[in-house]
Amino acid sequence: MSHPLPSYDGLMQHTRRHFLGASALGLGAMAMRGIMGDAHAAPLPKGTHFPGKAKRVIYLFQAGGPSQFETLDPKPLLRERHMQPLPDSVRQGQRLTGMSGYQATLPLAGSFTNFKKYGKSGIEYSDLLSHTGEMADDLCVIRSMHTEAINHDPAITFFCSGNQVAGRPSMGAWASYGLGSMNENLPAFIVMVSQDASKDQPLYSRLWGSGFLPSEHQGVQFKAGKEPVLYLTNPEGVSPHARRGMLDTLGKLNADQRATELDPEVDARLAQAEMAYRMQTSVPEVADFSKESAATLAMYGESVKTPGSFAANCLQARRLIEKGVRFVQLFHQGWDQHGGLPGGISRQCKQTDQASAALIKDLKQRGLLEDTLVISGGEFGRTAYSQGKITKDNYGRDHHPRCFSLWMAGGGVKGGQAYGQTDEFGYNIVKDQVHVHDLHATMQHLLGVDHERQTFKFQGRYYRLTDIAGTVVKGVVA
Amino acid sequence: MRPTPLALALLGLTLGVNAADEAVVDFNREVRPILSDRCFGCHGPDSNKGRKAGLRLDEFAGATKKLKSGETAIVPGDLAKSAIIGRIRSTDEEEIMPPPELHRPLTASEKDVLTRWIKQGAKYDRHWGFVTPQAYPLPKVADAAWPKDPIDHFVAAKAAQVGLKPSAPADRVTLLRRASLALTGLPPTTAEVDAFLADKSPNAYVKRVDALLASPRYGEHLAVSWLDLSRYADTWGYTGDNGMFAWPWRDWVLQALNDNKPYDQFLTEQLAGDLLPNPTQDQRVATAFNRLHRMTFEGGSIAEEFRQDGINDRVSTASYSFMGLTMECARCHDHKYDPISQKDYYSMAALFGDQNENGLLSYHGEVPPPFVRLFKSDADRTKEQELKAAIVAAEKALAALPTPSVANLGPSAPAVPTVHLPLDVFSKTGADNAIANGKPAKFERRSSPEDLQLTPGVKGQGVKFDGDAGFILPDFRQLGRFEPFTFSAFIRFGEKNTRATVLHSTGFYTGDGDATGVELLVTEGKLRWSMIHLWPNSAVSIITKAELPLNAWHRLTATYDGSSQASGLHLYLDGREIATTVVRDTLHAKSRDNALEIGSRTRDAGFRNGSLDEVQLWHQALTAVEVASLHGLDPSTLPKAMQLTHVRERTDTAFQEAWKKLQQARRDLAAHQESVPAFFAMEHSPLAPMAYVLTRGEYDKPDLTKPCAPGVPTQVFPWDEKQPRNRLGLARWLTDPKNPLTARVAVNRLWAHVFGNGLVASSENLGLQGDQASHPELLDTLAVDFVRGGWNTKAMLRRLVLSATFQQASTPSAAAREIDPANKWLARGPVLRLTAEMVRDQALLASGKLVEKVGGASVQENAHRRSVYTFRKRTAPPDNMLIFDAGSREICQPKRLNTNTPLQALVLLNNPGFVESAQQIALRVSKEATDPKDQIALAFRHVCTRSPRPTELTALVELYTQQKAQLAQLTPVAPVEPVATEPKPDPKAKAEPKGKRAAAPAKAAAISADPALAALTLVCSTILASDAAVTSR
Repeated sequence: MSHPLPSYDGLMQHTRRHFLGASALGLGAMAMRGIMGDAHAAPLPKGTHFPGKAKRVIYLFQAGGPSQFETLDPKPLLRERHMQPLPDSVRQGQRLTGMSGYQATLPLAGSFTNFKKYGKSGIEYSDLLSHTGEMADDLCVIRSMHTEAINHDPAITFFCSGNQVAGRPSMGAWASYGLGSMNENLPAFIVMVSQDASKDQPLYSRLWGSGFLPSEHQGVQFKAGKEPVLYLTNPEGVSPHARRGMLDTLGKLNADQRATELDPEVDARLAQAEMAYRMQTSVPEVADFSKESAATLAMYGESVKTPGSFAANCLQARRLIEKGVRFVQLFHQGWDQHGGLPGGISRQCKQTDQASAALIKDLKQRGLLEDTLVISGGEFGRTAYSQGKITKDNYGRDHHPRCFSLWMAGGGVKGGQAYGQTDEFGYNIVKDQVHVHDLHATMQHLLGVDHERQTFKFQGRYYRLTDIAGTVVKGVVA
Repeated sequence: MRPTPLALALLGLTLGVNAADEAVVDFNREVRPILSDRCFGCHGPDSNKGRKAGLRLDEFAGATKKLKSGETAIVPGDLAKSAIIGRIRSTDEEEIMPPPELHRPLTASEKDVLTRWIKQGAKYDRHWGFVTPQAYPLPKVADAAWPKDPIDHFVAAKAAQVGLKPSAPADRVTLLRRASLALTGLPPTTAEVDAFLADKSPNAYVKRVDALLASPRYGEHLAVSWLDLSRYADTWGYTGDNGMFAWPWRDWVLQALNDNKPYDQFLTEQLAGDLLPNPTQDQRVATAFNRLHRMTFEGGSIAEEFRQDGINDRVSTASYSFMGLTMECARCHDHKYDPISQKDYYSMAALFGDQNENGLLSYHGEVPPPFVRLFKSDADRTKEQELKAAIVAAEKALAALPTPSVANLGPSAPAVPTVHLPLDVFSKTGADNAIANGKPAKFERRSSPEDLQLTPGVKGQGVKFDGDAGFILPDFRQLGRFEPFTFSAFIRFGEKNTRATVLHSTGFYTGDGDATGVELLVTEGKLRWSMIHLWPNSAVSIITKAELPLNAWHRLTATYDGSSQASGLHLYLDGREIATTVVRDTLHAKSRDNALEIGSRTRDAGFRNGSLDEVQLWHQALTAVEVASLHGLDPSTLPKAMQLTHVRERTDTAFQEAWKKLQQARRDLAAHQESVPAFFAMEHSPLAPMAYVLTRGEYDKPDLTKPCAPGVPTQVFPWDEKQPRNRLGLARWLTDPKNPLTARVAVNRLWAHVFGNGLVASSENLGLQGDQASHPELLDTLAVDFVRGGWNTKAMLRRLVLSATFQQASTPSAAAREIDPANKWLARGPVLRLTAEMVRDQALLASGKLVEKVGGASVQENAHRRSVYTFRKRTAPPDNMLIFDAGSREICQPKRLNTNTPLQALVLLNNPGFVESAQQIALRVSKEATDPKDQIALAFRHVCTRSPRPTELTALVELYTQQKAQLAQLTPVAPVEPVATEPKPDPKAKAEPKGKRAAAPAKAAAISADPALAALTLVCSTILASDAAVTSR
């Protein structure tokens, strides 16, 4: 998509200015300040600091902590030493969770599945990710991710908001706040949760919350079915015609109120009601797959026909960003394989592999990949050793925050590479470590945002997504 | 500052300002905000690291001392010698301050302020927020007749300074709506409006205000912002997010507000009710304020990490709520702006970490101790005291019995054990020769057969454990705190275990928060023997003084007499009692009743390298004499006291009778206590862990060289050494009339409640990075009045709403629109967007369906109760509330932002609750009037209080007429028209697995089959979404 879309905020400002200019009241500067928000509470969105390669983001969040060993980070040594104890020299007394921390032995577990080189770049992917592997030359695998938290709730909160403590804005909320929407009929930040995933660990609305940012930046959840957005559908018995009549009347009431009270906030309220009305049309349109070609549907796989599946959500994500939604985040649960990992992860990959690859392919075919950043990964990795009983062909893995893998594509990412390196046990990073803050800084950089400059003053302090850390990972930027 | 060669001489040219023309700079108002925002991050109070160039600019001495570089940042009165001047004016990226990477450059006027300040002598003042407030004399006002309260003098004087005059009074209906919403969160009913308009007495408004303050709705409304601050919710908030039993505390808040409990008591009881002399049940319930933070039971979580997070939450919640300070900034380093060191922070943490508690929740959902019992009546509380007295009496009776002779010990051999596990043979199902109650014992292995190894034992074979595998006796249950129990076995410790579970009856375990029942645990090579309800608060437990002997077989015997006392626990090695110390001696409730497990526990360290042989179990506490004879020792060699106990317990019927009575008395007390719910509360304990400074705030990095005694940030306000160093002392410190923050913060919050914004807009932060007060003298005078008036919240609110300032019309004059669009100077009345709760409650009230019942368990929205009672699930808060800017209540929320979003319009027009309200309002007015025009006008009044203006009424009547005509055209066969906005049914939707998706939100039924009523409903829905409905003007 090479032509720049008008920004939502630009449109809104234009609309409101126009509206106010045309009014007989001549509220002038006062009106503008009132509508644009109280300077203390909500400074104006700052936009980009430099031209970004990416205009929008699709984040495929694989919740639960996918194992890197069966997906993106091959470790032949673990196969050789299957069931042998993890050397103390590798662990170096580092923190374990309370689940395996008391285990008498920590037997190494080699991947049950094979790896193969893909594409010109020859990056290795496991057999469980054969579709993703086909896109290897577009993907940048980061094998040296690390994080701070070791339990799901703090870790996923950290990943989605840059802090383990609840109450900070999520990634998408920052993008909405900083860059706004590119479509005045749709929210800037949309979230979808796979319905075909096993719900082993719960999700929380804080993961897409606006924290201390104004609530308009909250992620809006899209659901499969009749009502994609909560309260979108008119009550039974209220036709669109009736709704139009109501909004027209509301306009008259509010115009009278504005004329009497001389309060520009009234206009803002009316503008929001009008946008709600437009959403009632635009959302069902964007949720309607009936015009998608058979070829496209086939590319995403059979499960794309199941509303709410990961595959359907991937296709939905493409449709949303096509319409100018800034940030789409998918959540796919079920990656928490403490035991029975071979079976569990095979199921997970079967649900996600083909559609993830299809999404990249689809975006590429439509010329959207170059300015759409796609990221796929979880909140932490898993241990090189087995949690609980290990046998020749079955094992589990505990949480491991010290290293894990994810992949990025499009939007200014340098594809066809594997960035960073872990030791031969897959326990520690030996080269080019990427902290979650670094990933956030890089994501923002690709969007044209200097992560140190996009701040929000709250309770006397300037906050940012990357808190007080984060460095742009130059090696993954094209 | 970076050392640099500076051409200062050049600067003199630009600085030639005539001092006589200069306005005198106010340090607190003008200079400090600049220094704080741009400089203190590197040149401020944080001494740990990163103070650049050894320069600190937050105090005169530091700013004016000669630096290592040879420069001096500030030389009072001498611009040329003040290095800071060159730095702020430099254009060189390497030179300029603040450095470009801060991204907050100084503006020209800010540079001018700093320049003038240095020129005028660079005087420092203490930050206003840390100086005890003083009352100010009343400023003179132009119109002496206008003020109704001293407040109005301050307001009118400030407004005059910016060229504004007070507005005319609001009309009476508007005023009544405004006051009713401010004080009760609900608009007045039409009847109330009519009565008010009819009341021509001069004090009609005062009477109304007093009635509003006396209404129970007052507490229901005022509570909401307190519940935001105190992060009150109905679930725990982390993974799983199970129910948190907290609403009795919410009811305490409502009651305290409605009773107008003085704010100093309100504060003291919440922070330290348990430490007051003879605390009442309610005062102890109040302390749950400190327990409302989130807690997790996620498997694998580390208790200490979450205990520290909980303490941090308590500290930051209390500091936001009572002090208006961001204490938690000092968790990892000295505060960058305010005079709060990291040590101060951990001194506060020591105050709030004074509990004997576990950092994790029990997986099984027990109320996490410490707790208080919620007796329903004084009679029940009296009964508890009587039952306690009965125990004391029974103990005395036991002690008073005559001492029997020990000449005849009687039989000294123990009874036949209930279970005997020789552990000689294993098959796939277990040990084939295990006997329980004379029959083969059921026996389950924890893991695969090969993990339990037979090893040569004392008699035949024994079992060696690998630390992961063990076995369970599914039929043997230790039956809890009142049941005696004995475990005896040959045991061999193969290593000095740091932690090893030998025996327990916990069942499923995710950490010590789940430890329950009996437990025999090796810890750091010593043996701990416990009867637990929930570790560590509710347990009796002893531990050996010496480490255990390694690599040899010994007979270990552990007994428990069912007394719920640590004195009822004994450990014996080779027939002789071993020396122990008491670890815990407070058992408050019964344990869960689980099967006994030996050698292992899920997710815990098992008995690694340890061996057992000949395990025997009794539902009886063996005496020392029996333990000795079990091991083949001569009992007569035991100390006389042990022999005496044996004689008493086994042959003295008077003793047995008295013991039975004592045990019954204990059971009676327990039964009485456990007949009512336990409620989490604070309880100071000497067993609480010591507090240390945590390096970088990390839970596992305590700096053992920096222990922290309980304390406060004394640079903010000094500590009175006469006060106890505990939470009660903290409450006294906060409520000391001279404390500079407490009253200001409280009054500012009340002001914000009534006027929308605080006099200090950053009502959560009165520290250096907070906003300047718009009316500092007014704030201080009100703070002084508040303390002098006995911290009387209702009286303060009464003053605010009776002030002429509050009673002004809110429509801005032409001048106000130009000069003061945000109404900072209050030359007009306040305009507020209703909160999430108020928007919903107003609709319910107008519908006539609001169920007014004060207090009780939280409810779902369809119960039609006020929103303060809506069940708050932290990880999934009610959507319509979030959309209207309510928070998740996961952490302390000092204030809400106000936004306008399309989703709000969708809530008002489509949320089933609001649609239902519209239907009910339509039904109601259709009964109250016959003419549609009257019905519509009435509906408008029910929601918006005032009557619709003619244009408004015309518009609504038009809508009604149009819609009714539309609806009437439909054929009678289909009274409800099809909903065409819904997306076309997706043919693939059928493929969706049934029952896997969350149910779609409940739809309101078709709004009405009657075209008139349906049209009226649409009109009511439109009214509910209008500006007049969602604002207080």
